[in-house]
Amino acid sequence: MTPFQALDAILITPFQLPGPPEAGFLFGVSVLALASAVLGWACKALVARAHRTRRQREEGEAAKRSDLSLQALKAKDKKAYLAQNHLAQEAYGNTLALSAGRAAALLWPACAILTWLSWRFDGVPMPFLWKSAGPLAFFLPVYVAALWGISRLMRNEKRQ
Amino acid sequence: MNRRQLLAITVASLAMCLWLGVAVAQQAAPAAAPVAEAAKAVDAAKPVEAAKAVEGAPKASKLADAIAKAPRGVEPGMIDETKPAGFLGIPGAPSVNPILAFCWAVWVGWIFSTVGAFGGVMAGVGHMSVFGFGSYAGGLKKTAPDLGKIVTDSIKASNQFLVGTSAAISSFNYLKMKRLVLPLAISLGLGSLLGAYGAAALSAGKLDFKSYQGYFGLFVLVLGCWLFYETTPAGQAKKKTAKEAARAFEDAVKKQRCGEAVDECKLGLQINKFTASTCEFTFYGVPFHFNPLIPFLGGIVISAVAAFLGVGGGFLLVPFLTSVTQLPMYLAAGTSALAVLVSMITSIITLMSKGTPIEWSLIGLELVGITVGSIVGPMTSKYLSDALMKRIFIVLSLYIGTGYLLAGFYGIKIPGV
Repeated sequence: MTPFQALDAILITPFQLPGPPEAGFLFGVSVLALASAVLGWACKALVARAHRTRRQREEGEAAKRSDLSLQALKAKDKKAYLAQNHLAQEAYGNTLALSAGRAAALLWPACAILTWLSWRFDGVPMPFLWKSAGPLAFFLPVYVAALWGISRLMRNEKRQ
Repeated sequence: MNRRQLLAITVASLAMCLWLGVAVAQQAAPAAAPVAEAAKAVDAAKPVEAAKAVEGAPKASKLADAIAKAPRGVEPGMIDETKPAGFLGIPGAPSVNPILAFCWAVWVGWIFSTVGAFGGVMAGVGHMSVFGFGSYAGGLKKTAPDLGKIVTDSIKASNQFLVGTSAAISSFNYLKMKRLVLPLAISLGLGSLLGAYGAAALSAGKLDFKSYQGYFGLFVLVLGCWLFYETTPAGQAKKKTAKEAARAFEDAVKKQRCGEAVDECKLGLQINKFTASTCEFTFYGVPFHFNPLIPFLGGIVISAVAAFLGVGGGFLLVPFLTSVTQLPMYLAAGTSALAVLVSMITSIITLMSKGTPIEWSLIGLELVGITVGSIVGPMTSKYLSDALMKRIFIVLSLYIGTGYLLAGFYGIKIPGV
């Protein structure tokens, strides 16, 4: 058995649920969406750890400049406010670019699963949907819901 | 590690073991497993081989129709059925070397984490030039125009997915913080919706690769010129003035010993008037005003560019908002986050409904590369001067922008592009 065959055997397992084939398909897609969301979050956490120092510096700079801009407003100094705000916006741009790596780490498992789904269910009509629909139509909502659920769990964790 | 994290890891490990156990059991006794219709590919009729992923006929009917219409032969711009399937499963199309794709993506990720937004441009350059998809799509212009347009749409969608989703996900954090000005968010969001839908719907299946290359080149050239302007004395002067004003205020604040963080819930934002032509508001009694049509039109243009080229979006919206509305940065970030999200959702839905094929395996591999590159970037940035990096990328963007513009609109090729 090749590594690809072994991986295929693992990924097809949740689809082979006893009962109606539509239920098996929906269950399988849901399990894969959840698994790719969990793996994505884990990879994102790893990248965030690698970026920690740089991110703290950039986000700290953005936060500092933003606070100073608001203090300038309080002091009715519009010129200082615009200056601090401009610097805050530059620091924000750096944090946005840095977050591209975390976003990539979050998303790659979903792409890998979508690749497998597109190949595995090539030519198979999707249940309950229009003719040209593909596995993405089922995968995406469950994946987004899984990401949201995990982010809520993480947020509650941080609060505690 | 606390108890909750330990519990989460334990549950995930147990679930994984259960999954593997069931998979092994099913492999050991395949006859006992129920044959689900949706999983009918498990049957012997569809052998499980890695090569099948590229040998199988492309699923999307639009693509299949375009391939059927394309002329057969060995000349450029023809379908050579004797060759293995490449990009999108098209026989004879270039097949990207996975190592090349990974290495280029590492480069893109490295740029994101060191220089910044230029990474999106490099992702586009990879799809168009480095992987050979661009010249392939360009070669189809006269012989198989429909196929060429589908390949162009796929390149566009790949750029957008790679770059745009990253911005959307990172912007989501600001949206969750609820730092937004609602009337402005609605104005910008509506503009983004129109721009993203219009760009995707009007160009899908209608744009040939050369035109796309030309517009992409124009964007990169404008970006290069802007980056160059920022290094000139005139561009530096504005930044210098802002820095001096900022430093002066900072010193004044330190002297007054009031450097504590400001609670933004007590922001003092008061919207006094909001009509189709004017929005007047005050922050801590300081008056501001802007025309709401400007964010609406700006939302249309920026989202259209992001949906059309696959670059920009989140990186352009915040500077645009802060310069037009003079909102505090965090409010601008939160407000624009909604627009970025709307734009991304619109583009994805339009994409799915138009049946644009996407090579998910390539996108997945590139995302892994970007992840690796973004980890390596901060480690190497301390050895490289920011100013030198910026100059290198200014030269690159001017050269690439000019090259794509000339190649796309005038058919003039310069070396390396």
